[in-house]
Amino acid sequence: MKLTVNGVEHEADVEPEMPLLWVLRDELQIRGPKYGCGIAQCGACTVQMDGIAVRSCQIAAGDAEGAEVVTIEGLGTPESLHAVQAAWIEHQVAQCGYCQSGQIMQAAYLLDMMPEPTDEDIDKVMGGNLCRCGTYPRIRAAIKAASAAMKGA
Amino acid sequence: MKGGVRGAVLVLALALPMQAAGEEVVIEPPVNGSVSREDGLAAWERIYDVTSHPRCANCHVGPDNLPMWSGPSYGKARPHGMNIDAGESRVGAEYVPCQTCHAFSETGGNMGAHAAPQVADAWHLAPVEMQWYGKSSVEICQQLRDPEGNGGQDYIELAEHLGHGPLVSWGWDPGGGREPAPYSLQAHIDDMLAWGAAGFPCEDDQGGGDE
Repeated sequence: MKLTVNGVEHEADVEPEMPLLWVLRDELQIRGPKYGCGIAQCGACTVQMDGIAVRSCQIAAGDAEGAEVVTIEGLGTPESLHAVQAAWIEHQVAQCGYCQSGQIMQAAYLLDMMPEPTDEDIDKVMGGNLCRCGTYPRIRAAIKAASAAMKGA
Repeated sequence: MKGGVRGAVLVLALALPMQAAGEEVVIEPPVNGSVSREDGLAAWERIYDVTSHPRCANCHVGPDNLPMWSGPSYGKARPHGMNIDAGESRVGAEYVPCQTCHAFSETGGNMGAHAAPQVADAWHLAPVEMQWYGKSSVEICQQLRDPEGNGGQDYIELAEHLGHGPLVSWGWDPGGGREPAPYSLQAHIDDMLAWGAAGFPCEDDQGGGDE
């Protein structure tokens, strides 16, 4: 099947029910999205599909065919970081870092949808992305910083 | 309520199987008025068993737009985890869309314990006018027979609605160790038709009661 990931069309010889996360990591070697729980309880595998943040462990590859999938690798580039990525570095959000690609993809979706989120908005939209290191205060600060940067851009 | 002639005509038109997420159901309305009030109330009691069951009521919630986690699988009743707020859109468009986890799945999916169930439809809350969570049998009975509360549907249209939706039929095949809604989808449709054909009786109707 054909999958479009980060603007590049890939051919993948997989069963249609294989989770998108498996296809990304094991077939296409795109390893930014992480396996955490496999049952949509943690958010570590979050990617964007047609502009909406989704848990890639929950999407059957067959249902992603024809969609535009964006992973952390396609959000920005080292030369031109997405505002959320830049804010993450500025605030040194990551501790162990395992959940952070999912956090960033969810935060980028949040700011696309809601350019100036309140603390309550952030808590609601980021509530499904767990961080065992407890970096939540820095996540919130980085989202606010990215929001300000995007407003000024 | 719409006339019995239409119901009789639809017996011919609708006594055909409908496909609902793999389960074939038949819409075969009894002739309008052919069901007694007593039998209609008995059908309603079974309908209420379904509407108040967690598989249905957890997503038939009120204006706070918070889906519930309640029932034998969950222990103490509580709002959906992860701070989920489905918003006035009832699909989570304002915050986290239901489809972030309850993805559209052509074949249905996620029968594993604790996974987000999926169907071949957009996961969503029922309209706020159809709140069942926390409502009594009489309140839901009056709501379902009120054309302003039920989308202007007569009992045949209500039964057709039940036969069409993958999300509705999921309630009887929820997987993941979740308790299914009682009876069966076909029995629920038959009860809806019987209740309607009896004139939508509710327990507190004037001059009614448990005769």
